[in-house]
Amino acid sequence: MLEAGLCRYVLISYGHNELSSDSLFTMLTEFSGDDVVFGHFGATGGYALAARRAMHEYRTGPQTWKHIAVGQRAWANLNPRAVMHGRPMSFDDYLSSQYVVEPLRLPDNCLVNDGGRAVVVTTLERARDLRHPPAVILGLGQHNPSAQAAQSGALAGSTGAKKAGEQALSMAGVTRDDIDACQIYDCFTYTVEVTLQDYGFFGPGEGEDWFSGGTIGPGGRMPVNTSGGQLSEAYYMGLTPLSEAAMQIMGRCGERQLGPATKTKEPNIILVSDNGGILQAHSCCILGRI
Amino acid sequence: MAYEKPLPRINGDNRQFWEGCKNHELKFQKCASCGHVRFPPSLVCPRCLCTDIEWVVSAGAGKVYTYAVYHTAYHDGFREEVPYVVAVVELREGPRLLTNIVGCAPGEVYCEMPVTVVWEDITPDITLPKFAPSG
Repeated sequence: MLEAGLCRYVLISYGHNELSSDSLFTMLTEFSGDDVVFGHFGATGGYALAARRAMHEYRTGPQTWKHIAVGQRAWANLNPRAVMHGRPMSFDDYLSSQYVVEPLRLPDNCLVNDGGRAVVVTTLERARDLRHPPAVILGLGQHNPSAQAAQSGALAGSTGAKKAGEQALSMAGVTRDDIDACQIYDCFTYTVEVTLQDYGFFGPGEGEDWFSGGTIGPGGRMPVNTSGGQLSEAYYMGLTPLSEAAMQIMGRCGERQLGPATKTKEPNIILVSDNGGILQAHSCCILGRI
Repeated sequence: MAYEKPLPRINGDNRQFWEGCKNHELKFQKCASCGHVRFPPSLVCPRCLCTDIEWVVSAGAGKVYTYAVYHTAYHDGFREEVPYVVAVVELREGPRLLTNIVGCAPGEVYCEMPVTVVWEDITPDITLPKFAPSG
């Protein structure tokens, strides 16, 4: 539409009063259909089924997910806007927290908060005249396996991330080794693991080793969810990861800015993911500086 | 005491499944063309798009594909139940069913555990298929 001149600016926005109303729970209950007959409600239960199957098929579980929860919380503590700013979390805090739907604990779940987030898309020509350097869309990919959780025979992966990631990298003309940071849709810690795994950053069962040693946190070799993400900043659906990627590339992230300030690579190319349902839909976007 | 948990919403697609449950029969659609046994019920076969079906009665034996232990009650009717187990059971005939595992402690459930259907009559018209460890 932008290239055809049908419009000059596209606003992508999300806002929700999910904390102060019951609208999110109502939506998730509807989404569960007759599964509620058996006490199966919403997203946590569905992702718990997926995570449990993954634990059966390869080495994963709380010892992997603790690195994701703690790493993202460290980023949130550099982000004054994060819901969890000022609330540090240790591995012991994570491992001693209560189960919501086992194997998922409270800090494995994304936040429930009021708020909103938006991004504006325009042409590169127009963006070059704006105050901040533009975050340029280099590649896009989408793949939607779509099977309901109960009907999927591949609940432990691979998810739509595999093909969507290949498409996006191919369109961008870059490889995984060129990625400086990732902003991954993190409805649950396990989602971050299976998404990065399906993008090929590590093989099934290798996640615990890959995440160990602060890989994704400040100072890490592959920063992930640098605002704190949906687990520790705020939940704005796909706008949490997308807006953070754009802000990092524009250099607008203050204390958590990627580069020398956080002893990380300069964010020239950032991979962004979004997924929907219980791992039923997936999109990947590569943003970059040019 | 009145049943306080949600009830299934019966419609044209699933009526025969729930009527089967009422008679303690686990009934699935089988494609008359390719033989695929499917769940949930649907007008066309998801494998070959054929609309001809026959209903078959499952032996009620299968294994746990995956499971989750609810420590949170999202509905008042489940407040007394936590912790309880929601599982996907893979029937020997092929279909997967979202259900509960009963008859053992949540900590005893594991993926691939052999299970058999048990019937829970919850109202005069509705019976739920749940599963318990086999043998």
